Amino acid sequence: MPVNIFGAAFHEQKLVKKALESFYALGPQTSARILAKYCIHPRAKIGTLPPKTVTALTAELSTMTIESDARKILQDNIKRLRDMGTYRGRRHAMGLPVRGQRTRNQIETARKLNKVERRG
Amino acid sequence: MSAPNCLRCLLRPSAGIPVSSLPRSTPFALVRAAPFTTTTANPRPKKEAQADGKPKNHTRAGKKLKLGKFKKEKVGDRGRPPLPGERKAYRKRITLSNDNAIPVPWLTDLGSADLANPANMARVMALPVELQDQLRASEAFKPTQCWGMFRKPAVLVRKETVDLANRMQNAVDKRQTLRLVVTGDKVTGKSMMVLQAMAHAYLNNWVVIHIPEAQELTTACTEYAPIPNTDPVQYMQPVYVLKLLQAIKRANENVLARTYTVNPHPELSQSVPPNTPLLALANAAKEPDAAWPVFQALWSELTTQGANRPPILLSVDGLAHIMKISDYRSPAFDLIHSHDLALVRLFADALGGAVQLPSGGAVIAATARNNAPRTPSMELALAQREAEQARAEAQANGLDPNAVEVPQKDPFFRGYDDRVEAVLRSVQVLRVRGVDKLEARALMEYWAASGMLRATVDEKTVTEKWTLAGSGVLGEMERAALLTMRI
Repeated sequence: MPVNIFGAAFHEQKLVKKALESFYALGPQTSARILAKYCIHPRAKIGTLPPKTVTALTAELSTMTIESDARKILQDNIKRLRDMGTYRGRRHAMGLPVRGQRTRNQIETARKLNKVERRG
Repeated sequence: MSAPNCLRCLLRPSAGIPVSSLPRSTPFALVRAAPFTTTTANPRPKKEAQADGKPKNHTRAGKKLKLGKFKKEKVGDRGRPPLPGERKAYRKRITLSNDNAIPVPWLTDLGSADLANPANMARVMALPVELQDQLRASEAFKPTQCWGMFRKPAVLVRKETVDLANRMQNAVDKRQTLRLVVTGDKVTGKSMMVLQAMAHAYLNNWVVIHIPEAQELTTACTEYAPIPNTDPVQYMQPVYVLKLLQAIKRANENVLARTYTVNPHPELSQSVPPNTPLLALANAAKEPDAAWPVFQALWSELTTQGANRPPILLSVDGLAHIMKISDYRSPAFDLIHSHDLALVRLFADALGGAVQLPSGGAVIAATARNNAPRTPSMELALAQREAEQARAEAQANGLDPNAVEVPQKDPFFRGYDDRVEAVLRSVQVLRVRGVDKLEARALMEYWAASGMLRATVDEKTVTEKWTLAGSGVLGEMERAALLTMRI
């Protein structure tokens, strides 16, 4: 039976730590602290959490800047650079390397990531 | 000179076959149809070839790069994949008998006083069936031990065993608590010593509470929760305690059914009036949430002074794990000291001598050498206690006690732990070493009688295996003689 945490359904065999880290902008450091805060041991599975803890986790996550909030911050930062007309903003808009790398070859990462509406 | 090929029809015979040998009787039309076309005589309809949208007739018939052509074909059906936990259960299973082993006629079952009797030294004795069940319930057997090779589980009564059993008996006679740490090198039989202590306790109707692997408590792999109204905060481990309670219940059923509560326990959800058997009290825990209060109630009942209580044996294997900072974290993200986990604290208090057991008993901890974290304080404390024992012994023998040096703390090392030192300040240390040749011989005779050692057991074989095993280290003897097949 899947368990809902912060709007996402997780299988009950999934590790709580992994489930938390599946949210954007929530990494190992934060997940370890959340686990400690609710006294969940690092190897706990979702299925073993009491319902009270599940709702507490959802409440905790809703106070944090994760997922779309965190993406919005990132996009705003790029957009600000772009609106100011900086070199970095322009390079983002063009999908080219931002930090002075040469562009003769090997700019796949820049092509993939450098966009004004970056996904994450 | 005639050309090897017939130029008219371009019929190309294979090399070496003369043209004249071609069958003359072949009808002309058929022969003619074949050579001028590269397609087969009866070509497939084109629609079928392009059914998947890819033109197939453009592929070259010549050399093709085929990656992984040496890879083995995948086997289609691999059967049912193992269910969750199935492989672990197989890895951890404990087999206590082997029907192919020869029954040993002279093997006698252990009686209640046998382990303390010096006459039984260097004898192999079998564990009675009910004792096997008790030991199995409390997880005293380990999968690494060679129980599965013999018809019946049996143990070698060693000098140390008799010594330990006598110390336990003396403690109970004086209504005191024996606090003892079993230590020694790898595979010398430390866990087996604990098992024998437990056997002695079960045979004499003690209550035994055994923690089979201390690491399960402190490596953050079981649930934990803060206990309300404790300062400094202590943590309970409900799931583990429930498992432990069930093990206690199964292993000590008879004793607990004969012991009755004297105090009311209003804190429990289920009402337990005075004069209820402790077994019923232990049964009150059905859910992990209720486990810790029930365990606490059970422990307080067992240690109530003045009531008629059985002696208690608390034992743990892998002491180093509960003498360090655990892997659990408090809500403030600080690491929790093992002694702040309530169950560990209960054990540590008993080992440190803070608990007075009503009818006496023993607290026995065994160190582990294969899987043990570094605990400088524990190592130092055990070395100090051992040196102090050697001093006392030297003094008793009229020798100079100052010849034995007691190790001191390294003043430039920061990793010592005061709480661990406090616990181990006054324990006794029993060092388990290799067995002597008499015991080795008894053991090898048992192996040979079971058909597991295919050699004549004489002075030479015993000495050979004893020496190979680093002067009689039991595990090494097993490796040298029992686990290597020399048929």
